[in-house]
Amino acid sequence: MKINKEIRQQSRGLLRSSFTDGQLDAGRVTGLVRSLIEKKPRNYIQVLDAYKRLLRLEVEKRTATIESATELSQETGTEIVANLIQKYGVSLDTRFIVNQELLGGMRIRVGSDVWDSSVRNRLQRLQQQL
Amino acid sequence: MINPQARNLRQTMSTILEEIETQIAGLKTSTSKSNVGVVRDTGDGVARIEGLSDVMLNEMIEFSSGVYGLALNLEETEVGAILLGDTTLVKEGDEARTTGKLLQVPVGKALLGRVVNTLGEPLDGKGPIKAEAAYPLEKIAPGVIKRKAVTQPVQTGIMAIDAMIPIGRGQRELIIGDRATGKSAVAIDTIISQAKQNKAAEEGRLQDHRPLYCIYVAIGQKNSNVARALAVFEANGAMPYTTIVSAPASDTATNQYLAPFAGAAMGEWFMDHGMDALIIYDDLSKHAVAYRQVSLVLKRPSGREAYPGDVFYLHSRLLERSARVTEEAGGGSVTALPIIETQAGDVSAYIPTNVISITDGQIYLETDLFYQGVRPAISVGLSVSRVGSAAQIKAIKQVAGKIKLDLAQFRELAAFAQFGSDLDAGTKARLDRGSRIVELFKQTQYNPISVEEQVAVLWAMQNGYLDSVPVEKVKAFQVKLQDYLRMRKESILKSIVTKKAIDKELETELAAALDEFKSTWE
Repeated sequence: MKINKEIRQQSRGLLRSSFTDGQLDAGRVTGLVRSLIEKKPRNYIQVLDAYKRLLRLEVEKRTATIESATELSQETGTEIVANLIQKYGVSLDTRFIVNQELLGGMRIRVGSDVWDSSVRNRLQRLQQQL
Repeated sequence: MINPQARNLRQTMSTILEEIETQIAGLKTSTSKSNVGVVRDTGDGVARIEGLSDVMLNEMIEFSSGVYGLALNLEETEVGAILLGDTTLVKEGDEARTTGKLLQVPVGKALLGRVVNTLGEPLDGKGPIKAEAAYPLEKIAPGVIKRKAVTQPVQTGIMAIDAMIPIGRGQRELIIGDRATGKSAVAIDTIISQAKQNKAAEEGRLQDHRPLYCIYVAIGQKNSNVARALAVFEANGAMPYTTIVSAPASDTATNQYLAPFAGAAMGEWFMDHGMDALIIYDDLSKHAVAYRQVSLVLKRPSGREAYPGDVFYLHSRLLERSARVTEEAGGGSVTALPIIETQAGDVSAYIPTNVISITDGQIYLETDLFYQGVRPAISVGLSVSRVGSAAQIKAIKQVAGKIKLDLAQFRELAAFAQFGSDLDAGTKARLDRGSRIVELFKQTQYNPISVEEQVAVLWAMQNGYLDSVPVEKVKAFQVKLQDYLRMRKESILKSIVTKKAIDKELETELAAALDEFKSTWE
């Protein structure tokens, strides 16, 4: 879908207004969406679509996904979260996932950054090197 | 007793196992950090990727399927990448990660005699290429300090070009003309001529000759055309000094867009190592079209004739990489002969004017001349070489100095002479001379003439030895004269090569030889 300049600017404006003290504010987001639906300005559905996408990317940027082959102990989990918060700030949301395809080790993703110490990744690298 | 074969196998296996173990040991404690994104949509050889916040322009991106891409559009939330390789393997939702590398191609002498694709992979079935190095496709052209004046000639073996529109090593000379006017033929003849000279130098028949290695980049050509060019090179012994980079019409627009840059990278290796290279870009019109396609699919804003705004920069940055560099910077050179196809002789179209303004001159081939039988169909009035005359050897300058003017005057007079039959003696002489020059410059394909023979023939013409020869017999006279000089007067040809100028002594020898030849020639 081609987004025109106006829609892009409006959705960006909406995103800028969704923060309180540098953090996404769920209440503000709901308020903005509701007011847009009530007022129904021109192209509001496309604006909402673009806004939703920007919000998703923003949430992804502030979410750490921690994948591991087996369930992590409470202690390890807390340690990882503490380290990540130190790096990315307190606003970081964390999600723990068990993914047996990793075979072993861990894979942490925050936004576009990925730390991969999984066995699967090592095997893939080994395959490439050989 | 153990079979020796089994023992060998066991030894090999244990070496492999050891190697794997060392590799595993090396990987043990590593946690790799990478920057990833997700493919949002893909099609037409292009993928749009969300994420990849650290990607750099022109960086290679690796997709989970093993296919590589090149980041061309860096947008606020997305990255537009062109795909290299099998585009059907990339799917929506695939993970893509940055590699921190620029696209590179293998370079070096191992590529000579080979036919490769845009990525430097062999297409000729002659096995893998053991290249000495790899060079990035995109490289900034040598700056002012690194450059040196163009002073050495590229002997194309085409008399009309060597005499009137000389090309120097490090020059960019455009070959422009309509379809089927012999543009590629000029380029192919030039390559054959280089091969002949290189071979002569190797056999000690040519002194002080710097070999010129050729790279023929076929962009958007028919596969049959590339095969034909290859066959011609092989038949004329040119392949040992030539690399063909082929991105035919069946290849993706991405590969067609990148092929000339791959050719330039291969040429630069020769330049950096004190050698000379000649690159033929056949042709840049199709290259511009491929780039337009890539740009439109990437949703870049389009400009005139739907070409993107940076189509000028596309060609200028490519052709600026041709240069002759100083000894400190390697001491080699890259000469470029880009080809442009015009539509109905319109040189003022967008891409032709762009490339004309970038290059150091052009060889303009005319359809009318081609069908009149003047082949190569070089239009003398519209063809120029801005730097090449400095690279001509003195002997050629002595005999060809005024030919371009003579020929231009001939064309003008010939147009007027059509109206009246009574002409004064001076005009008639000029017309006669002109028509003989036109005949002399006709040349068959794949038949380059060595510089010493060119000098001897042009000297004969300049000194009136052809005036008594009927126009229709000029060509036969020239062929016989060349044979005669090669067979009987090799010493004269040799002294032209060594002296590189015509002095009194040589003039006397030439006059004597020509008098003798004329007395025997009917």
